[in-house]
Amino acid sequence: MATNMNRHTQSTPPRRSFLTNMGLGFGSLALGVMLNQDGVARADWAPPTGVPHFPPKAKSVIWLFMNGGVSQMETFDPKPMLTKYAGKTIAETPFADTQDPKKLAIERLVAPDGNGRQRNKLYPLQVGYKRHGQSGIEISDWFPHIAGQADRLAVVRSMWTTDSNHGAQAQFHSGRHRNDGSFPTLGAWVHYGLGSLNDNLPQFISIGKREYWNKRDGYYLGPAHDAVPLRIDPNNPLDFSRPGTPISPQSQQIGRQLLEELNDLRGEQYPDDPEMEARIASYELAFRMQSSIPEVVDFAQETAETKSLYGIDKPHSKDFGMQLLASRRLVERGVRFIQIQHGGGGAGAWDSHSGLKKNHGKLALAVDQPIGGLLEDLARRGLLEETLVIFCSEFGRTPGSQGSDGRDHHIFGFTVWMAGGGLKGGVVHGATDEIGFHAVEDRHYVTDVHATILHQLGLDSRQLEIPGRKRLEIDHGKPIREIIA
Amino acid sequence: MTTCAILPAKFLPLAATWLLIVTCLNVCSVSAATADEASAKYESHVKPLLKARCYACHGAWKQKAGLRLDTAKFILQGGDSGEAIVPGNAKASPILDRVATNDVSQRMPPEHEGEPLKADEIKLIRDWIEAGAPAPEAEEPEHSPKDHWSFRPIERPALPQVKNAQWVRNPIDAWIAARHEQQGLAPQKEAPRIVLLRRVYLDLIGLPPTTEEIAAAQADTSPQWYENIVDKLLADPRYGERWGRHWMDVWRYSDWWGLNAQLRNSQKHIWHWRDWIVESLNEDRPYDEMIQMMLAADELAPNDPQELRASGFLARNFFIFNRDQWMDEVVTHVSKGFLGLTMNCAKCHDHKFDPIRQVDYYRMRAFFEPYHVRTDVVPGATVSDDGIPRAFDGKLDTPTYLFIRGDESRPDKSHAIEPGVPEILAFGEIDIQPVELPVQAWRPESRRWVLDNYIAAAEESLKAAKKKQGETAEAELLVAEANLKSIQLRAAAITAEIEGDDAARQQTRQDAIQAQRELAFAKARLELLSAETSLAKVAEKDRKEAEKKLATAKESLKKQSDLLKAEIKPEDKVEPFVGAKWSATRFGSTQRDDPEFAFPSTSTGRRTALARWITDKRNPLTARVAVNHLWNRHFAAPLAPVPFDLGRNSAPTPYPELIDYLATELIDHQWSMKHLHRLIVTSATYRMSSSQAGMEANLAKDPDNQFWWRRRPIRLESQAIRDSILYLAGTLDPTMGGPSVPTKEQANSKRRSLYFFHSNNERNPFLLTFDEAEVTECYRREQSVVPQQALAMTNSDLVLQSAQQIAQRISASAMDDQQFVRQAFVTIVGIDPTKRELAAGLKALQDWNQVAGDSGDKARGHLVWILLNHNDFITVR
Repeated sequence: MATNMNRHTQSTPPRRSFLTNMGLGFGSLALGVMLNQDGVARADWAPPTGVPHFPPKAKSVIWLFMNGGVSQMETFDPKPMLTKYAGKTIAETPFADTQDPKKLAIERLVAPDGNGRQRNKLYPLQVGYKRHGQSGIEISDWFPHIAGQADRLAVVRSMWTTDSNHGAQAQFHSGRHRNDGSFPTLGAWVHYGLGSLNDNLPQFISIGKREYWNKRDGYYLGPAHDAVPLRIDPNNPLDFSRPGTPISPQSQQIGRQLLEELNDLRGEQYPDDPEMEARIASYELAFRMQSSIPEVVDFAQETAETKSLYGIDKPHSKDFGMQLLASRRLVERGVRFIQIQHGGGGAGAWDSHSGLKKNHGKLALAVDQPIGGLLEDLARRGLLEETLVIFCSEFGRTPGSQGSDGRDHHIFGFTVWMAGGGLKGGVVHGATDEIGFHAVEDRHYVTDVHATILHQLGLDSRQLEIPGRKRLEIDHGKPIREIIA
Repeated sequence: MTTCAILPAKFLPLAATWLLIVTCLNVCSVSAATADEASAKYESHVKPLLKARCYACHGAWKQKAGLRLDTAKFILQGGDSGEAIVPGNAKASPILDRVATNDVSQRMPPEHEGEPLKADEIKLIRDWIEAGAPAPEAEEPEHSPKDHWSFRPIERPALPQVKNAQWVRNPIDAWIAARHEQQGLAPQKEAPRIVLLRRVYLDLIGLPPTTEEIAAAQADTSPQWYENIVDKLLADPRYGERWGRHWMDVWRYSDWWGLNAQLRNSQKHIWHWRDWIVESLNEDRPYDEMIQMMLAADELAPNDPQELRASGFLARNFFIFNRDQWMDEVVTHVSKGFLGLTMNCAKCHDHKFDPIRQVDYYRMRAFFEPYHVRTDVVPGATVSDDGIPRAFDGKLDTPTYLFIRGDESRPDKSHAIEPGVPEILAFGEIDIQPVELPVQAWRPESRRWVLDNYIAAAEESLKAAKKKQGETAEAELLVAEANLKSIQLRAAAITAEIEGDDAARQQTRQDAIQAQRELAFAKARLELLSAETSLAKVAEKDRKEAEKKLATAKESLKKQSDLLKAEIKPEDKVEPFVGAKWSATRFGSTQRDDPEFAFPSTSTGRRTALARWITDKRNPLTARVAVNHLWNRHFAAPLAPVPFDLGRNSAPTPYPELIDYLATELIDHQWSMKHLHRLIVTSATYRMSSSQAGMEANLAKDPDNQFWWRRRPIRLESQAIRDSILYLAGTLDPTMGGPSVPTKEQANSKRRSLYFFHSNNERNPFLLTFDEAEVTECYRREQSVVPQQALAMTNSDLVLQSAQQIAQRISASAMDDQQFVRQAFVTIVGIDPTKRELAAGLKALQDWNQVAGDSGDKARGHLVWILLNHNDFITVR
């Protein structure tokens, strides 16, 4: 026992010096607390220092998540066989073996809600495709602006997941099936692992509506690692970002001075109190945030040309364009992780069980120009090299039709793409079979995307692991080496 | 962490001895220095690796294949199949083959039991074997899990003798002082009275003392002043609200949530369980009894709605779609919350650290397998408006199967798993006795208030019918009268069926059925009248339709009229009342509710047996876990570092005897939590100042205060922050209990925060900012420091409006600015202000008075606003 106790005292990292060394960034304040609690609990463990584990290629991530399930076949993974065999059941085509029950066994249902079923009758492609850029990547005609960036994209056509309910939204963010419980999302891990690039701004921001199963981020890392929800409204960008009842700047200034003085005076009776020091620092940050946050979502300084690049001048792409312009401004100012939820709430806007053509066509119009504009704008400003942009969705959609004109949920093969952040441009990696059913070449579970992003940020997920929270091999995933430049 | 840190200080001489032996015997040709290094490396690297990856099967608890790997001697001994290593010859050592092979059938650790060792880990073992497998001579084998502190029987420990006896107020302090003396630490002096007062108020009732209470305490000359206040606070009903919230964290209280209107998790009206917790704490109900009720009120008090509220603990775990996830949460949190065991780790494989086999996880699940959830009708309401969500054994014969590797799609149906507990924690038989339920429990429609609800509703409609006017009014009145009569007679029939003799049963049944027929007849007559009336008014184009309706109504009346005269047959039924509503599940793949089933007249008794085992005085874990939770919530740091895991994977506690002392106190005082609170808050340990001033010597030895030489300051919990602000403003609504305040009403509500609707889905934004409890798991509250908290405290309406109200209240008794500033410090932050603090406050008041529109009351409000943002408002010093 005596030995163990010695071990305790000797190995518990000195919280005090840690807080001062870290420059008291957002992450570090939260970390200081973690350290306080868990440093006591586990002797042979130290929390992250905020410094990458190896030299990073990227500094920031813009995470574009399309809620509801994007059809891989009508976006980035053309399957002419669907048109050729349209109306035939899969069993009648040469691809009957795709429905081999053994291959379907990866599915784990949360709710038998009637969706996510096998849809047998092949549904033809609802949109045309062309090759784009020097790379000649095939992209559907609904995405002309993204297509204009083809040579910057690394398209991964061989994703798979296991939850065919929309809880897969949470699974895509955390890597875990909902039946396993709730786990930290990728953004929370990044926030936990990396120090701040700008102490005037939260380092993990979320924009857009989220459904309940996908509402939070920190979980066992703590609520301090939840994303801070941001609204694109300079007058009300954050909860509590300005006084509910107006107070004159002069009176605020008097108050601030008094608070500083009183905390200092209290410090005479309670010297070197780390919690008090952290709190004082948090007030300083909050004060700076009050001006820095509205500034980020105020586009007065942006040119008309830039706004139009993002489609802000068109009604159908205005909202998403503003979110992405704000994202660029956040990246510029050193925010680590910007999580954007498009079409969030309920099952998600992309969930085209019927009327797929109309639905996907309309949503593509809303997101295409903003995304194309974002990539172009980042590249022009030299930010794309250090910013990793990812376009993703919880799963794909069935090659077969649901009803007369929809596609159902599909977990066995779907597409994501990434750009920037030290990845290759103009590459396609992995493939589904000829009807887009199963990922067959270079298959990747969702955590491989996480591993790729963490790798580019210089983080090793194993070194971030928390004692008592054993992660599985599959939770860590493997970086997709083939798309890393 | 450096190598030195884990080496016992006495290691080196022993290694030297070993080294001598090695050299003398000339076992291998490595140089002395290399063997020395290798031995050190064994201790620092190889042994931890073996411990983490191999001891679970080859250690003190289990010796698969007869092999133990927990000392070098055991390793040399080998196992059933011969030697494990050949010192100096890695190639000839089978152990290396087994960890390095690509053949998964041969590989160690076996597939699904652990990841393969990595190349650098294999190299560690290889190098050690090559170096001759040296190890310190007096290497201690791994302790048997039976010797683990929390698995041993609880015994009252003898008090340690300490030098600093005058500091000791009660036995808690003796153990704290013993460690102080061992570590060369001196305890901090007692906190100033005003600080102590604020601390104990916030701790016990979650609200600060009022100005008057502070003044009274400061003037109290009794040596018992503090103890008197503690007694008063423990008797205050707000104690139950404060500690109720703590236990709601641990027991995972959550209002219902789901997708839009569809309830998927927890239950509506679950607040009854919250109220039961608050009331039980206020009554100081024994902790063991509370556990028993939460796990098995339906078997222990099947007819007592007040007690049935307790089984909200189980109703909360309802999950509409997936039984395995539901059961997993129950097993996980019954184990973590009550037993400090991570049984969830054994879902897929045997536990790697604790003596819990995979089957034990499923044995635990089997206790819960039969239970379902229903909502019992309460007086004066239908189940959609109110009712008591509760557990009941609904599917008595559902077997529990072990899932191969935890995979729910691979149940091992070769045999069903019976309820049981891990062998190491077994003391005597688990006695499972089926419970014959009283009839009102399984036929809740026969409860008096259910009958009364129906009768009252019928009387209500009769009253309404009497007021009606119009062509059909008379017929409607007749329907309402027939309805009341039928309800009354049905109620009589239900009662007679249960309580009456054969004759009464026969008669009431006949009467009820006849009354039902009369009601049907009256309704048919009304229908006919309506049809005639509308036909008279109908437009020509709808005439056909109306004529058709009339014909149907005539036919129907004829049928009912005939039925009135017909003989009552055996198959005729008295229409049942609804006394409870099953919370329908959707486990089947039908998109519809699973089929309903009748409430069984017996309960399996499994959960009662489990509850009795958990709360048996011989259970080594329950009381230890309870006192650790209590300590944690008083001090914001537990004695055993992980409240939900007292097993072998947690860092050892420096205070096992103190935990045992507290556990025996709990058990010996009829599991009274108030007894424990009193003991803790009256200890010298609790009463210390949180300052580090003048404690440089301590700081050098124990900078993080691991040995409790000062009080740790605590960041107030989310609810206590909001409640305190409203309380100081005089606007806190003291109403206790009742339905949760819906999210949309919270901004204007002044109720205590524990009454706010709080689910995985819906959380109050102000409370969320301050580390609101996670409903999924919250054994400890986080105490983060983030700038959003500063924004909420400076900018929220709650703070800004309350600041003005607080200023007005203080102004009522403090006329001049000097008095005002002093009183504001005392009341809001619990500070007797120094001259400089006073001066700073006064200066700011003057400055605000100079700002246009901010003078006078507003300036005072600003001062309060800043004091609410003072570090020591949000902090329990």
